[in-house]
Order: sequence, then structure tokens, then C-alpha cells
Amino acid sequence: MEHDGWSLMDRCCDLCRHSAETPCRNYVSCRIDGPLCHDDKDCKEKRMRRIYEVRNGRGGLKISIGMGSCGLAVGARDVYHAALKYIEEEGLDASVTPVGCMGLCYMEPLLEVHRDGLPSTIYGRVTAESVDDILDTYLSGDIRGAFALRDRAGVARGESEIPLLEDIDFFKYQVRWVTRNCGVVNPESIEDYIVYGGYLGLAKALESTPEDVIETIRKSGLRGRGGAGFPTWLKWSICRRAEGQPKYVVCNADEGDPGAFMNRMLAEADPHRVLEGLIIAAYAIGASYGYIFVRAEKPLMADRLEKAVEDARRYGLLGHDILGSGFSFDVDVVRSAGAFVCGEETAMLAAIEGGRAMPRQRPPYPATYGLFGKPTVINNVETLAHVATIMSDGWEKFTSYGTEKSKGTKVFCITGSATRTGAVEVPIGITVRELVFKVAGGVRKGRRFKAVQIGGPSGGCLPEAMLDLPMDYESLISAGAIMGSGGLIVIDDGSCIVDVARFFTSFTMAESCGKCIPCRIGSKILYDTLTRIIDGEGSEEDLKILEEVGMFMKNASLCALGQTAPNPILSTLRYFRDEYEAHIKEKRCPARVCSKLVNYVIDEGICVRCGLCAKQCPVQAIVRGDDGAYRVDPSICVRCGQCMLVCPREAIVKR
Amino acid sequence: MQHAVKPQVVEDTRFIYEAVEDAVRRYGRSRKALIPILQSIQAKIGYLPRIGLEKVSNHLDIPLSTIYGVATFYHQFILEPPGMHIIQICMGTACYIRGNSDNYRFLLNLLGIESNKRTSKDGLFTVLRVRCLGCCSLAPVIKVDDGVYGRVDFNEIRRIISFYRSKAKTDNPSSG
Amino acid sequence: MVKVIVDGVEVEVEPSSTILEAAKKAGLKIPTLCYFPGLFVEATCRVCVVELSGTGRLVPSCVFPVSDKLSVETNNARVREARRIALEVILAAHRIVCYSCPRKGGCKLLELCREYGVEGIPVCAECPLHGDECLLARGEICLGPLTNSGCGGVCVREGKTCEGCRGPLTSKDTVYEAVKLYVKYGMDLEAILGRLSIYHSSHPDYDKLTKLLSMLFGEAGSR
Repeated sequence: MEHDGWSLMDRCCDLCRHSAETPCRNYVSCRIDGPLCHDDKDCKEKRMRRIYEVRNGRGGLKISIGMGSCGLAVGARDVYHAALKYIEEEGLDASVTPVGCMGLCYMEPLLEVHRDGLPSTIYGRVTAESVDDILDTYLSGDIRGAFALRDRAGVARGESEIPLLEDIDFFKYQVRWVTRNCGVVNPESIEDYIVYGGYLGLAKALESTPEDVIETIRKSGLRGRGGAGFPTWLKWSICRRAEGQPKYVVCNADEGDPGAFMNRMLAEADPHRVLEGLIIAAYAIGASYGYIFVRAEKPLMADRLEKAVEDARRYGLLGHDILGSGFSFDVDVVRSAGAFVCGEETAMLAAIEGGRAMPRQRPPYPATYGLFGKPTVINNVETLAHVATIMSDGWEKFTSYGTEKSKGTKVFCITGSATRTGAVEVPIGITVRELVFKVAGGVRKGRRFKAVQIGGPSGGCLPEAMLDLPMDYESLISAGAIMGSGGLIVIDDGSCIVDVARFFTSFTMAESCGKCIPCRIGSKILYDTLTRIIDGEGSEEDLKILEEVGMFMKNASLCALGQTAPNPILSTLRYFRDEYEAHIKEKRCPARVCSKLVNYVIDEGICVRCGLCAKQCPVQAIVRGDDGAYRVDPSICVRCGQCMLVCPREAIVKR
Repeated sequence: MQHAVKPQVVEDTRFIYEAVEDAVRRYGRSRKALIPILQSIQAKIGYLPRIGLEKVSNHLDIPLSTIYGVATFYHQFILEPPGMHIIQICMGTACYIRGNSDNYRFLLNLLGIESNKRTSKDGLFTVLRVRCLGCCSLAPVIKVDDGVYGRVDFNEIRRIISFYRSKAKTDNPSSG
Repeated sequence: MVKVIVDGVEVEVEPSSTILEAAKKAGLKIPTLCYFPGLFVEATCRVCVVELSGTGRLVPSCVFPVSDKLSVETNNARVREARRIALEVILAAHRIVCYSCPRKGGCKLLELCREYGVEGIPVCAECPLHGDECLLARGEICLGPLTNSGCGGVCVREGKTCEGCRGPLTSKDTVYEAVKLYVKYGMDLEAILGRLSIYHSSHPDYDKLTKLLSMLFGEAGSR
């Protein structure tokens, strides 16, 4: 980051007394409203200028580029360098800042530019080559071609045609409560976080008693956002009352559900919020040490959290006698070595302890007997982000959103065959239909909606008729799905539902820890049975096996991985039984996906008899008949699809 | 996972032992240090050689079979020398639905990797299937070493592989 | 001490007890397979599951702790069904080589399968004759390896070969192991099929079994 080295976190002059070794209670508010320990007009101005710079950029010009994992995957780093180069070449006084992902993934890479007097403008799908053009045009007061605006200035050319971000369909149903900083702050800057209101929640918490903090969270009605929905205050309360020292807090950043990246987004874009929540949780239960357990496949998340921990320590927000409260707490970021089952609480603890991540029978629950045998609270990333926000903004505001039993907002990820994919934060209670069709714009062009998978491999598939259910913890369970961690995957008519069910089962089979027989052997039995059906060798008996073994896994597995693994199968059997029956009775795959049940046929009306397909066929299944026409022999055909790929007239179809 | 070293170098026993010593120095000898130590060794050497694991067993006073149990449980750990570049292809639901199952077959074909093997014959690439890199909106996604590539199709994969192949030629003019 | 109700019987046990221990005190036996106190208590086989009364929730009794006024049912329909399926699942992954298994004659899995009506273990599991006394080794075609256990094996106890009265086993794995034995002792496929046809030609699985035998015999013979 380019500035003269002085940041708001530092002393403004020698009269300041705070340091990590000599903490001061008012350190946090002093950063913004200060100086508080002494009266000095120059110091005050220095602070005000710096705050202005952080918000509006050096010289009033700020260029922000989305550098979350998703942006980086499509070239954001090149865009960033192009912007830096532009500033240098033009000799401008400006800030070029990396920001996190704001959930607008379908428009990545994103570039936002603000200059005093002009509206703060967001450009989408930016390439490194187009950066110069974009900046030239913007700085000349012309914003045509932009995607959206954060505010209006009424002076820019083309401004009236560009919508405000909050008005576009993807955003207008959202309430940006925990995601407020995503795409706004530089995730590697603690200073940014403070400018935007960070650590005030912690300061407030430390001014009250741990019991008060637990009471505040109780009044908010916050429930665990990792999927189980257990009341957060109750978990804390049980742990606080449990016997055993030292106590631990663990942040579950192992988000493993395919299709879920809510936690990845939050921790990459606003890691301090998560850390703040963790420190507050530790204070509430009386823990002296904590761990943040991050999934192996999401290393950028771990990097950002480590940087946040480092900075928090440097400025005394972590460590000994935090903010002079007498409360001491420190944190280690632990990188998982890669296993989906680590998302299960007791498995995660086993992994931290240095063993195989195998869950154990509960009770006793971690809150009374956890890490190294001591009382431990494990909270999800999003839950902790809510904790920090509730402490700073108040529980009343939080309860103004959501439903009777499930208060507040939740971050959901919509992926798969949707028009607009990304992450959104909405009040709990929004219906599935609204999320899929209003926010995500329905199925992408040219496809038809078939189902939506909710809750990842632990959840169920819902057909169109069930979409009016509200997204909350209870409603979906009766329909055979679960809210889970919040991932929704839109499936179109190009996917075979039996194939999708088998896909999820292969996932469970691979990720099963192997300890208990329902999951270890049951998932294999389910997989083999589905394979038989997909290969056209299924029978009615097989449907019975799926239901029996599935129910057994649900009722008798040791942990939630096994207990929820049959959900994709059971829910698709319930709502899409006809697709299974077609595979079994007619040996036909309605979606034309299952290769052994699909025939490749040459449409003689379109075919120009060039013979390319016959040449390409690896098993010589395409023969030229006496009448000159080319035909595929289904008994030899291995359904590789090569013929379809080489046909110049697209005359070969799947039937 | 950063694959920092060419596979030929790993025959060097001293190099392996040094990696173990560094890791133990950094993380200590308690049981809970085991996984970070293994991760550190793999980051330096590219995989977990048996003699390295035996050394760790001595230092931490944990039976080799236990360490083997941990090393084989997690997806990240590789127990044989991998190729120069590690390709991780995401097999999460969104990526699967948007084409990665076809991309995976295409990739194996392109690199000439046999059905039950993971590394190409020229030792350049090891292909691993992973579960969910968290970039689901950019599906389908593949990773080559630390670089993440979103919205990939066959052409994009060809382009990426060519890039790494020509890079190998310039880094190593004598080979391939 | 806490009060626990097991199948309606009230017992008092130490608060650190498990349901299994409480049941034992109440004089009730709960079947287990993987439970070895002092050695391995990890609740992996799920055969010892019991239902927490009125909840529908099944928990493994070997590790589940007691609490005051806890009420459990150890043998109701739901529990028995779960146990039955657990045994079927275990069998599905179990390598059935009863002929040479050290547990022959005293196999707990076999006992449980008999009790819960799960079929799939051959008569060899109950045979008291050891390896070199086996009727097959004496050149006689015994249908034991191909037949469902559970009759008590009276014929082989009398020294007479098994005629397969309880019906043939048709799972590919068990038939494969049977074929290996027959080939080892130089038995003729025709002779075996001949014996089978006497008792089983009207059995619904007869065709499937003979096809499987022929196929596997062909493979084994060519090795």
C-alpha cells in the first residue's frame, strides 16, 4: 500500500500512551474520534486526513480491484497491475487498493473507481487491456459502459443510464449486514477495518461482563450459521459453566460443501470481522487460546486470516491484557491437510490434535469435553462475523430481519446453471423461488429448470413445485432438504438426476472417514446400486435397497456426514422417481446423459455423407451401408461422443 | 500447495533430513505439531519420502505406522514423487455440472496419463482431483500450482498446458 | 447413582456408566460385535443400537452415557430392523471364507445373522470338521460352501455331505470362494451341477447360480 508509512494505528505524537505492552481502553475509538488522551488540533487533523485518504483515496482518487479467489481466477491480478501502471504513467496521486470479493462473482473481474466529485463507479468483466480506456474515460467525466454505481453525483456523462448497485436485481433483495465491507475494504489492512467501524464491538464487549455478552447474543437469537442452527448463546453458556481449564474457541473455517463459498468470501474480504467475533466469543466463555481451522483447498483464506492475526497482535487487539481489560487471548491459524469430514466438530478437534480426522460419538459434546479434553466452543466463520456485528450495531437491529424462529440474515451462494451466480446476503425467510428466480435470474439462457440442490451433499434436491418454501432452518427439513451452510446449486434439464445423486454419493464415499459401517459400507452399496441403474442393469429391487440402506445410514451413522449422506438420493427418489423408473424399466435416460443408455444417431436428413465420423470412431462403429448412408451400430458404439464432436453439420444427435 | 523443487533433487537424503529438522525446529515435538510438520516437509520437497517420515517418528516419538495413518488419511499428502507441476481439478458440484468431468477426461488424454496413474510420462504434470476450491461461481475451475483458472474449456486447457510446457523448455533447454 | 429404565425395568447405576452396562445390570443382553472393553470401544459396528424411548433416535449403547431417568428400548421393531440391516451391510463387505476362518464353529457374526434372519453365510461356518477332515478333502462333493447356514449342520456332524437343503447362496463373492475350494480339491463342475439339480432345479435362483458357477469355474480352470 502506498502511503508515507504512518497509519491510524500508530501514535499520532509522543503524547499517545497506547501500545501492545501498555494497552489503553479507548484505543479503538481513539483511532477515529481521537486523539482522546490529549488535545491537539494538529493530531486531530492528521487523523481526519488519513481517514479521508482511506475512504476516498490519496488525492481523492481511489481505484479498487476485486482480488478474492474468484477474481484472481479470471485475471484480476493483471487488472491490478494495469491500474498501477496507469497511475504511474499518468503521474497521478491516487490509491490502488485490492479489495475482497463482494459476491458479484458472475461479473468478475471487478474494478471500482472513485474520484471526488464523480460517482463511485463499478465496472464488470474488466480485462487488463481495457483498464487504460476505462480510467481515461472515467476521469474525463464519462461513465458510459459502467456496470453500476454506489452513489450518484448527477454530473457524469451517461450517469442516468447506469443503475445504482442497490437497485439491480442481484442486490435489491440483499441486506449487507455482515458482508458490508466485502468489496469495500482492503482485507490486508487493519486500518481499513477500523475506519469502517471495526473492533468497536470488541471494545464494547470488553467494557461489559462475559455474562452480559452472552445475554446480548441470546437476545439477538443468533443461531449457528454452519448448518446445524444451534443457538449460539446456549453453546457459549454451556461451555462457560463447564469445568476445566484452559478453555478453547475454534473457528470452523473448513467450509467443504461443494458450491459453498460464503465463508471463503467473508474471510478473504473482511478477515478482521471474523477475528473480532472470535475474540468476543473467547471473552464470553473464558477461553485463553483459540484456533482458526482453515480448509486446505482455500489457502488464500488462511493467508488473509494469518495477516489479520499478525496485525491484531501488533496493535494489542490480541495477546496479553487486550485493551487493558485484563482479558488475555491468542490465536493460531491451522491449515487442514484436506478432508471434508474435518468440518464435523469432533473430527476437526482430532485434526488439530494431530490425528486422523475421525469423529467420535457424542455425548459428551465439545462444549464440555473438547480440544485436548477441555471445554471448547466451535463456531462457524459466518456466525462469528455476526457476533462482531451484533456487538457493534446492537441486537435489536439484527432481530429486525428474519423470521420468528430464525432471526437475522444469512449469506447464500447460488451456483450451477443460474444466470447470475455468486454470493448474496438476505434476511432469513426469503423463499427458494425468490432466491433462484429473482436474485439469481433463473436458469441460464437456453436451458430449462429441473431442480435446485440445497445444503450441499448433505441436502436434498427440490423440484419446481417445492420452491415456495422459505429458506430457514425448519421449513426445508420437512421437504427432505436442509438449509445447511447455505449453498444452492441450480440444476437444468441437461443433467440427469440419477447421475447427480450418484455424484453426491461418490463424494460421500470418498470423504467417509471409514470408522462406522453404515457410512463406510453403506455409501459404497448406494454407489454400486446407482451405478447399476445408470448402466441400465437396475431392477425394482434396487430402489428398495436405496431406501433401506439410505434410511439405515440416516438413523445409525456415527456423525452428520453419514446421517445426511443419503439425503440427495432419498429426496430425488421422492420427487424424481419417474427418472429412476425410466432408467430401470425402459433402460432410458431422459436427460440423455448416462452414456450406456444413450444412442448416438445420425440424422440422415442433415448428414452430407462426408464420412468424417466413421474415420474418427475409435471402435469402427459407424458403417456405410449399401445405400450410401452412414449409420451408427449401437451394439459396437462405446458412446464416447467423438463422432458428434467432428461432424461438420451437427447431424449426430443423442437419443 | 507450492511445489518448489524438481523431482530429481529429492534423492538427496541430506536435503530431506534438513527439511525435517527445519520443520521440527519450527513447530516443536508435541503430537499436535505432526500435521504442520508434514505440511512443511511436503512444501519443501514436494512429497513425503519414507525416510523423512522415519525421522519425524524419531523426533516426535510417534510410531511410524501412526504417522503413516495420518499421512494417508488426508488428501493433500503425496507419498510418491509428483510431477513438476501439480494440476488440481475441482470436482465440486458446480464445477462438475459445468463441465469438469469432461475437462478431466480431456486433460488425461491430452497429457497421456494412463487410467490408474496420476503423473504424465514426461514427469511434467501430476493431476489430482480435489473437492471444491471455493470459486464455484467461476466454474469450471482448475489450479496449476498456485494459479487458479476459472471458466475453463478445452481450448483454455490446451493454452494453459502449452504455457507450462514451453516454460519447462526455457527453464530446462537440455531436456524435452 | 442414577436411575435408568431399560425395557421398562428400572436399575440404578453409577453416573459414569453406559447404557450397555445398565442393561447388563437389568439382566438384559444387547448384542455387540466391535466392543472390546479396555481395547476398543469406538461404536463402529452399530449392532448394539438401542432406541431412546419415544424419540425414534438410535444410539450405540456401548458408549452412550446414562443420565437420570433415561429410558431406552433395546429390542423393539425399529431396533431389530436396524440391527438386521447393519448385519446385512456388514456381510456385504465381509470376505466370506468360513472354510478357513479361525472363527469356524464359534462365529458371533453367524449367531447374530441366524437370530435376525439374515442369510448369506455358508454351512462351512458351522461345520465342526477341520481343514484336512473336510469332506471335500476326502473327495466327496459337499454342498456346504454353496448353502445357507442355519440348520445346525446335522448332516455334516454325522459325517454326511451337505445336500444343500437350506437353499443356495448366490452372491458372487460367496460363490467365488466356493468355486475356489471345489477347484482346489479337483471337483468336476458337471458333478457339482448334477448334485445341485437334484435339490435345487426348481429354486428361483437356480439358473443364476449355475450360470455363475460355470462362468467362475471357467475362469478358475484357466488359471
